[in-house]
Amino acid sequence: MKTAKINVNDGDLLTTLRDFFRSILQLEDISAILVPQHLPATNVVMPTLVTDPEQLNGTDPLAPVFPLNAAKIVSRLTRKPMGAKVAVVLRPCEIRAFVELVKLKQGRIEEVLLVGIDCLGAFKNGDYIQIAGKKEAEFTSSFYKDALSGKKLTFEGFDLAPACKACENPIPDGADILIGLFGVDTNNQLLIQARTPKGETLYETLDLSDTEEPPERPAVVESLVAERTAYRDKMFAETAEATNSLEKLNIYFAECVNCYNCRVACPVCYCKECVFVTDVFNHDPVQYLRWANRKGVIKMPTDTVFYHLTRMAHMSTSCVGCGQCTNACPNDIPVMELFRTVSYHTQNAFEYEAGRSIEDDLPLSVFREDELAEVVGIGNHCNL
Amino acid sequence: MKKKIGKALVVGAGISGIRAALDLAEFGYGVTLVDRSPHIGGVLSQLDYQFPTDRCGMCKMLPMVDRDTSSQYCLRKGLFHENIEIRLSTELVSVEGEPGNFQVSLRQAPNLVDPARCIGCGECVKVCPVEVLDSFNAGLSGRKAIYLPVPHAIPNAYIIDTNACSRCGECEAICPTGAIKLLEEVRKDFRILVVDDELIMRDSLKAWLEDEGFAVDMAASGPEALNHLSKQAYELMLADIKMPGMDGVELLQKAKEVFPDLSVVMMTAYATVETAVEAMKIGALDYLLKPFDPDTLIPMIIRTYQDLEASKEPPMEVGALVLCGGTSYFDPAEGKNTYGYGLYPNVVTSLEFERILSGTGPNQGRLVRLSDGKPLRKVAWLQCVGSRDIKIDADYCSSICCMHAIKEALVAKERAGGALEAAIFYMDMRTFGKSFQRYRDRAETEHDVRFEKGRVHSILYDENSGDLMVRHVDYSGTYREEIFDMVVLSVGQRPALGTTALAEMVEMPLNQWGFGQTEPFSLTRIHKEGIVLGGSFSGLKDISESVIQASAAALSASRAIHAGGGSLTPEPTPEAPLFDISQEPPKVMIAVCTCGDLLSKLLDTQRLVRNLKVDPAVDQVDFLEQTCTVTGWENLIERVEKHTPNRILIGSCLPDVYAKKIRELGRRVGLNPVLIEVVDLMLMARVSNLKSETLSADEISKINSDVLAILGTGLARLKWADPDPVSYEKILQQALVVGGGIAGMSSALAIADHGFQVDLIEQEEMLGGNLNWLQRTLDGNTTKSILDETLLKVEKHPLIRVHTHSRVRASHGQVGRFYTTVEAKEKDAFTLKHGVTILAAGGVEAVTTSYNYGTSEAIVTQKELEKKIHANTIDPSRLESIVMIQCVDSRQEPRNYCSRICCTTALKHALNFKEINPEINVYILYRDMMTYGFTESYYTKARKAGVIFIRYDLAEKPRVTPMDGSVRVTAVEPIIRQKVQIDADLVVLATGIVPRLPKDLAESYGATVDRDGFFEAAESKWRPVDSLKEGIFACGLAHSPRNITESIATAEAAAQRALRILSHERMPAGKVVAEVRHSLCSLCERCIEACPYGARRVDLELEKVLVSPAMCQGCGSCATVCPNSASTLAGFLDQQMFDVIDSALEGTA
Repeated sequence: MKTAKINVNDGDLLTTLRDFFRSILQLEDISAILVPQHLPATNVVMPTLVTDPEQLNGTDPLAPVFPLNAAKIVSRLTRKPMGAKVAVVLRPCEIRAFVELVKLKQGRIEEVLLVGIDCLGAFKNGDYIQIAGKKEAEFTSSFYKDALSGKKLTFEGFDLAPACKACENPIPDGADILIGLFGVDTNNQLLIQARTPKGETLYETLDLSDTEEPPERPAVVESLVAERTAYRDKMFAETAEATNSLEKLNIYFAECVNCYNCRVACPVCYCKECVFVTDVFNHDPVQYLRWANRKGVIKMPTDTVFYHLTRMAHMSTSCVGCGQCTNACPNDIPVMELFRTVSYHTQNAFEYEAGRSIEDDLPLSVFREDELAEVVGIGNHCNL
Repeated sequence: MKKKIGKALVVGAGISGIRAALDLAEFGYGVTLVDRSPHIGGVLSQLDYQFPTDRCGMCKMLPMVDRDTSSQYCLRKGLFHENIEIRLSTELVSVEGEPGNFQVSLRQAPNLVDPARCIGCGECVKVCPVEVLDSFNAGLSGRKAIYLPVPHAIPNAYIIDTNACSRCGECEAICPTGAIKLLEEVRKDFRILVVDDELIMRDSLKAWLEDEGFAVDMAASGPEALNHLSKQAYELMLADIKMPGMDGVELLQKAKEVFPDLSVVMMTAYATVETAVEAMKIGALDYLLKPFDPDTLIPMIIRTYQDLEASKEPPMEVGALVLCGGTSYFDPAEGKNTYGYGLYPNVVTSLEFERILSGTGPNQGRLVRLSDGKPLRKVAWLQCVGSRDIKIDADYCSSICCMHAIKEALVAKERAGGALEAAIFYMDMRTFGKSFQRYRDRAETEHDVRFEKGRVHSILYDENSGDLMVRHVDYSGTYREEIFDMVVLSVGQRPALGTTALAEMVEMPLNQWGFGQTEPFSLTRIHKEGIVLGGSFSGLKDISESVIQASAAALSASRAIHAGGGSLTPEPTPEAPLFDISQEPPKVMIAVCTCGDLLSKLLDTQRLVRNLKVDPAVDQVDFLEQTCTVTGWENLIERVEKHTPNRILIGSCLPDVYAKKIRELGRRVGLNPVLIEVVDLMLMARVSNLKSETLSADEISKINSDVLAILGTGLARLKWADPDPVSYEKILQQALVVGGGIAGMSSALAIADHGFQVDLIEQEEMLGGNLNWLQRTLDGNTTKSILDETLLKVEKHPLIRVHTHSRVRASHGQVGRFYTTVEAKEKDAFTLKHGVTILAAGGVEAVTTSYNYGTSEAIVTQKELEKKIHANTIDPSRLESIVMIQCVDSRQEPRNYCSRICCTTALKHALNFKEINPEINVYILYRDMMTYGFTESYYTKARKAGVIFIRYDLAEKPRVTPMDGSVRVTAVEPIIRQKVQIDADLVVLATGIVPRLPKDLAESYGATVDRDGFFEAAESKWRPVDSLKEGIFACGLAHSPRNITESIATAEAAAQRALRILSHERMPAGKVVAEVRHSLCSLCERCIEACPYGARRVDLELEKVLVSPAMCQGCGSCATVCPNSASTLAGFLDQQMFDVIDSALEGTA
């Protein structure tokens, strides 16, 4: 794996990153770069598609926020051939979501160069606006400095989003080019790594000098992952306890108003239109009456838990745990917590990990006669 | 629409009979399918599992194109096809006439239970006092005289075993629907006059016959008899010959003058054949010899009765007959019975063991001994019981037992969770079919099935433990004993019962063992045109081969019908215009059959009507009596015509039997049949105790809720039913055959003979393939005759265009329309349009470098030897010693399959050498001699002729060393465990067959090849010549290794499968087909991956996923993988299913 370091002046990571992105954009092969950027006159950070190297001054991939999972944006850019190559700067969960979308034929990998940065985590959207609204751009630098020096990441009483605290994938393994922060002396250096042949080709055209990965990096990453995993497992246990009966599940989703924001925010919910807003669930008026007749009382809207169960059935095999669903919920239902708990088990059942590799077949897209014998019940034959 | 007239009779409704019937029916002929047993499925109704999948899959034989003509569910349960009339318990009585125009008479055993009325409640069984052995479970369990012939049929009507029935009348009394009519009523109409001067004779005859339900009168003399005849009509007269005064012959004469239609059977105490023959000349039906006892007399009278009843029906006109009579099995109790079958309780036949494995068997599938309940832990299979045995005149191999035994061993092991030891004692493991060798290898290496070479000489039974000691001499000559819990005898096949009589009737020659004898190079044709054999009737075939042969038989039959002018006659069927109701809201009429007084007593009709009418779609609820009867049905039609609903829901029983009636009803009232639905109200009769005398109020209320729920589900389905008529796709009625060998030519001819254009592509300069060098077959037929004959027909045929020196460059399309670009030598490429494709690309002898091939001229292949013999470059009289080595590079990875022809080729050459020069030493080094079927006799012949057979193992292969002037072969002789050394003049290597089916050729048509490069069938057993993608078929060596005759059979089968499609100008889609709602589709293409039939593709320009309705089989996989129901299945819409589930829950709330 080709590895290089680039110098950082006075710990100013953002300037270094902007320069690095600029150098990528200036390559003949790359026509545009998709990168998170502060929008003018606000402190909102959004993905921007940049073709002019001079327009990278607001770039801020380290801001602890991602108002949407940019995999969806990359999917839009690559759904059909564009005739040009785009570098996209993404968080690990965005890369993994994009890999899922490619497998679902919602995007193409051929014309993108995936640039991933070690992820420091993010706040919930609303929280971030509360904190950063007053602090402007320097909030990012104080955040990453704290994050990289291992300080507790609470700002004005706001903690990192639970999805990020439970994320065991802070390293963008699937990137073509990785920008490493953990276990790196970020006051002076950044790590650049080419992780795929495509990444290596680009790496060669950049003016970089080869070096070794810092020896302390694996241990730092390992301890971070261990901490996150511990949080995650605790979350799994609590969530399972809170939802282990239909009654509890009903309570869990009691506030759901069928706004479907979670599915709109979900990067892997790729349907053009969710089945729940189609005529399939456009029940006959007399049907409601019939249901009510049978039970004496029914809660309205009727299809809330059904909707969530269906979404889990459809997409839990592809869930990357980015937490945008919880972000999007107007009534603060911990959607991510449940979705991840279920996903963890469904993905385990298929020995699948969403976003891990473009090569792994999607679960349920291949029929293996001998799989899940205890579930499908056809294992009582010789498997010849 | 062209409607074929033309009809075929298929005798025998086993697997091959069903295949042949379906093939002919799909082509468009009417088919009458008869079986003498009361169920379809033949022996397969008793076999639950088939290798290599170790499960069933019979349903895969159902039509895939125009599939709504047939029911689409478990074929073991039943077959319903528009063009097939099934007559069970029926035998063929006589055949007259010419090919294309036969008159046949059938005899149907009287059915004492009306299947249309029997609801299968089983009350009759509870009261029946007679218990007999159940033949379905191979006699391993008991049943009553009234019983279900198979546990799984639909409709599963009870029948009465008339031989066992005591006619006590209990069942008739308890039957809730009045379905049972015991003999008496029917037979009372059949009056018999007994004429004898001896009172005791008259009296006993009268008593016996009246016991059988006949009406009997007596007369003591001829004049008295004539007096009776003048007063009363009689069907049958039994007349004694020797009577004082007017004797029997005179009476016969006189009676016949006045009543020419009277049937007379003579009786005589003296076996004077002359008198009897004389009597028969003047019109007696038969004669009986005195003294007689009721056991012989009664069946004879009943047969006469049945024949007379049958003859009242006019004979049936058919164009061709397909005889699929199946086989019977060797009874191991016959002869010396050294294995103690029938004496030792734990010695069973392979068929009995099949029932022991079955969930519907005597143990409900638990693997325990029937005798003492001991779990089976150690089981032995003994092969070749009743086969390959000259002493009992069975010098043939039954072909199927080896694989059958391995399968049973594997299923038993799997059932026992591995805790079962299985040993198979065999002589040669005949794993000659595609994939068989690998199946065997896996059984041995992965599942620890033990293969013991050697014949078991006897079994000892331990009365205390019930265990069995198998005593045998192993291959090294050591005597061994081993204890088993159970011993399974792999019994060989025998000609089917009644084969001789049938053979006489249709002038079918039999071979020396009594199996049907076919013409050279045909597995199906006998010398008499229009009468063909299918399946194992001509001997010894597994399912796959039976199915292939059945399709081939269907083809031969079809040719005869076609030649007789029975097809292509346009007969416009006026299709009544359907009412366009697409703009109307649903207006449902619900008709509830009250089933006599069964339901009317229980139903709370007011509550039902009230609940059903909550739904505004319900227009009318009617309660009718017995819609299964003609009156009931007419009554229903009357109501429909009165109320003019646009959807009809019928609540009755046995919905599957209504399929045909529904189509008729639809036509009559102008409704698309999808708008008529039948739900099974009797479903609950089978689960709840409807007949119980005292039902509580709660129980009655539950029954009413159930009825409401069942009707509700039907209503839900109907409301959402799409009234649009099905779509059609046009078919290019032309075929393309790739490969001009004997298989390709045969299939081309078969198709062209039915009036369709065929393009035949051959890459070589001339047609003929391997027959250009092959000279003759093992049974002495020269191949030149068949080659010349076929070439001439192909070249002269006006509908066949031959393209030699040509090859397929590319192809696209789907069933009904393919476009193939062909490139030819010295010619421009051209494109052919065709509706079906047959891949007959052939195969060649494999090349080898083993055994020092290529280093000496004295080491040749079997093909080279054949050529040398023909070219006279070899002189057997000057050779002293020849070694043939079998299985060169075969039956081991990577070419781990048997090529089938090498053993017989070796025998052919060995016998030829021995014939010319008896002094010559011929050694055949083999692993297992694959002389399956009747070729076994040549193996015997070769041994008698002095050919020396030496078995070798893969671990110790022979070694071949070229010497000066000879070749030295060393091998280990396993019997003496010694190295033998042979200095041979000639070493002949059997290298086997490799296919010549290029992967890209197959793939350009959407077909696939297996790991050995042969065509991959949609299903090796049930659809052996079809590709999974409809419209592509394969035959000949590209399909699998096989001899000429077998190759031609595959060619005919492939042609028949293709003709089913070509015979239609346009192809209707099924009712249940998938559709795409494009506005919702995200183009993720998961549905395309999920579609097993290749019916979907994405059109990148339109940005749409498209479905071919004709190829779609309505399996619903696409709708299942689609997350947002952009892919839907007509007839199974989400809304509809939600509604159905909701209604079904109605009763439980």
